[in-house]
Amino acid sequence: MIIKKNTLAAALATGITLLAAGAASAEVLFWSTQARPVEEAQAMRDQVLSGFSGDVDFQPSENGPWLTRVDAETQAGSGKIGVLGSLHGNLISLSDNLADMSDIGVDGVNSAFLELGKLGTDQQKYIPWMQATYIMAANKKALEHLPEGADINALSYDQLIEWAKTMAEKTGSPKFGFPAGPKGLKHRFFQGYMYPSYTNSMVTKFRSPEAELAWNKFKELWSYTNPGSPNFSFMQEQLLTEEVWVAFDHTARLADAFNTRPDDFVAFPAPAGPTGRGFMPVVVGIAVPDTAPDMAESKALVSYLLEPATQIETLRATNFFPVVDVELPDDMPAAVRMSGAAIATMSGSADANPGLLPVGLGDLGGKFNAVYVDSFERIVLAGQDVRTVLDDQADALRKLMEEAGAPCWAPDVASEGACPVD
Amino acid sequence: MSEAHRFGSGPVQAAGPWSRYLFTGAVVVLCLWVLVPIYLLLVNTLSSPEAVATYPKRALPEFDTQSLAFFMNYAGVGQALWNSIKVATVTMILSIGAGAPAGYALSRFDFRGKDTFRVLVLMTRAFPLPLLALPLAVLYIRIGLDDSILGLALVHTTLALPFAVLITFSLFSGIPIELEEAAWTLGCNRFQAFIKVILPLVLPGIAASAIFAFVISWNEVFAAAVLTIEHRTLPAFLLQGLAESPLHLKFAGGAVLVLPALLFIFLVRKYLFSMWGIANR
Repeated sequence: MIIKKNTLAAALATGITLLAAGAASAEVLFWSTQARPVEEAQAMRDQVLSGFSGDVDFQPSENGPWLTRVDAETQAGSGKIGVLGSLHGNLISLSDNLADMSDIGVDGVNSAFLELGKLGTDQQKYIPWMQATYIMAANKKALEHLPEGADINALSYDQLIEWAKTMAEKTGSPKFGFPAGPKGLKHRFFQGYMYPSYTNSMVTKFRSPEAELAWNKFKELWSYTNPGSPNFSFMQEQLLTEEVWVAFDHTARLADAFNTRPDDFVAFPAPAGPTGRGFMPVVVGIAVPDTAPDMAESKALVSYLLEPATQIETLRATNFFPVVDVELPDDMPAAVRMSGAAIATMSGSADANPGLLPVGLGDLGGKFNAVYVDSFERIVLAGQDVRTVLDDQADALRKLMEEAGAPCWAPDVASEGACPVD
Repeated sequence: MSEAHRFGSGPVQAAGPWSRYLFTGAVVVLCLWVLVPIYLLLVNTLSSPEAVATYPKRALPEFDTQSLAFFMNYAGVGQALWNSIKVATVTMILSIGAGAPAGYALSRFDFRGKDTFRVLVLMTRAFPLPLLALPLAVLYIRIGLDDSILGLALVHTTLALPFAVLITFSLFSGIPIELEEAAWTLGCNRFQAFIKVILPLVLPGIAASAIFAFVISWNEVFAAAVLTIEHRTLPAFLLQGLAESPLHLKFAGGAVLVLPALLFIFLVRKYLFSMWGIANR
């Protein structure tokens, strides 16, 4: 028993020493939900943040712990986190506890993104940090099955379906892949790609006849889609194993395929539908919480992250593109060159129809995504009647929009008050 | 099979050849159940990224250490491993320090609310950690326990305590009270009787339940991810990014997480066997 007591005392002493050591460090804690994959985190530390004048402790974290920790520090009124890095959707729910960053120089930063960063207030709640979007990728073996006369840089959804069908028939197994897995970003496809392409809307025309057509088209595509798709979350994996030849996903989730075997893959824009080529830019922001231990140092880090040279290093590290005007050097990784070209073609195409990330939903963002994911699961996976499901889900969507009181965002026409669901 | 011969006259043999095949088959299936995933994990860990991404999979590793080398150089892995060991050790000490006396009391004394207490001990496992983590973190920040080894170990102790109490309860219950009474008649007081008679008998079992506490702490992620920032444990540190990393790093990271625990279990296996009543060999 005496031994046990001593060990206990030693343990207590260790705990207290560690406490003291923790309080003494003057690093800026960078608490991020981005650059989570271990290689990206390593590159953030070694290549991006090492150039900052002070010390930075970069800690990537999953959404759950990330948000819980920030909430805890806010409620406790003091904390260790110096800088927050996360998606627009996550930062919205923290709006009341973010410091105003209007005093940070933002020359050359994309003005539409800056406006998003105000989160509907007159303060600069977050500053855009980097951006990405979703594109298509194909194994070069798939190209010979392209429908006659189809231009890969100007595909339509009908051509994509035909392509997927030909591949399935010629090779004996479905070769189109879709990230419908638990961590897959399928909801962004429906919100930012399918709906804008077929209805020129994301919310208002949710249950329109055009939307019904879109879902039926998607069901058709699904019949030529790799049946493993409900398990796929990072299409780079299935592209590399060649389980899948053609796929839709986030640029950062295709990067490994492009970088590993740049000569075997092509990147190309998302297809177009009757109302244009819908696509969704993704904005990642940086913010400083009110409880930051050293406000000046935190803001200095934010400024540093906006410098063109840092933005280019960040692109190398994470495959997320700069939000400031920069001249990209020639020696960028393959994924950056390939996705960059595809994004430029997509956003520069005559029929481009960008759909923004949800604005003004506050912490209802998760429920908003659930409307689209539930529709997908009921219509496509469970085979329920499209009309019935859309009517059901439209009620849920309407209730949610009214609860949030959020006006419409692109491509829906701006509205007075809550965005209507027809 | 040599084991089976040695115990040839046991109940297994007596039940006829078919049940013996069934028994052997079940043993083989159970062993494969555990060993095949670990084997695949090791093969893929020791293969080059290209080999990991191709089908069919190789049966033998190429002994390419590229993926493992990444983790060896990954900033903070060593520190996180050390933190994990510290937290798990403190958890082990605290949960046995509090759990063994509780188990002894439950088995030796009758008191009001004994049954309620046994249920209440289990109740600590009824609340999901993501629900508790927020108020806990707020409290920890306010009282200064935040981001410390001790703070996290206290949470892990709460998780491990029910097992410590219930395992030690059954250990003490398995030892006849007459042994203690005999010691008392020979001049020992209660404490001396415990130390000289009971403790040597239950020590292997206590060690086993301590190992259990160690493993519970080692595997816990959510509380660790919220309550520690600069002193992260290995699972909290690695798992945050592993799910989204390329396949070859997932395998290597998995191995980095699994191997220390396997090694630990291997080193202390004789105590585990004693918990299950198998003689030391």
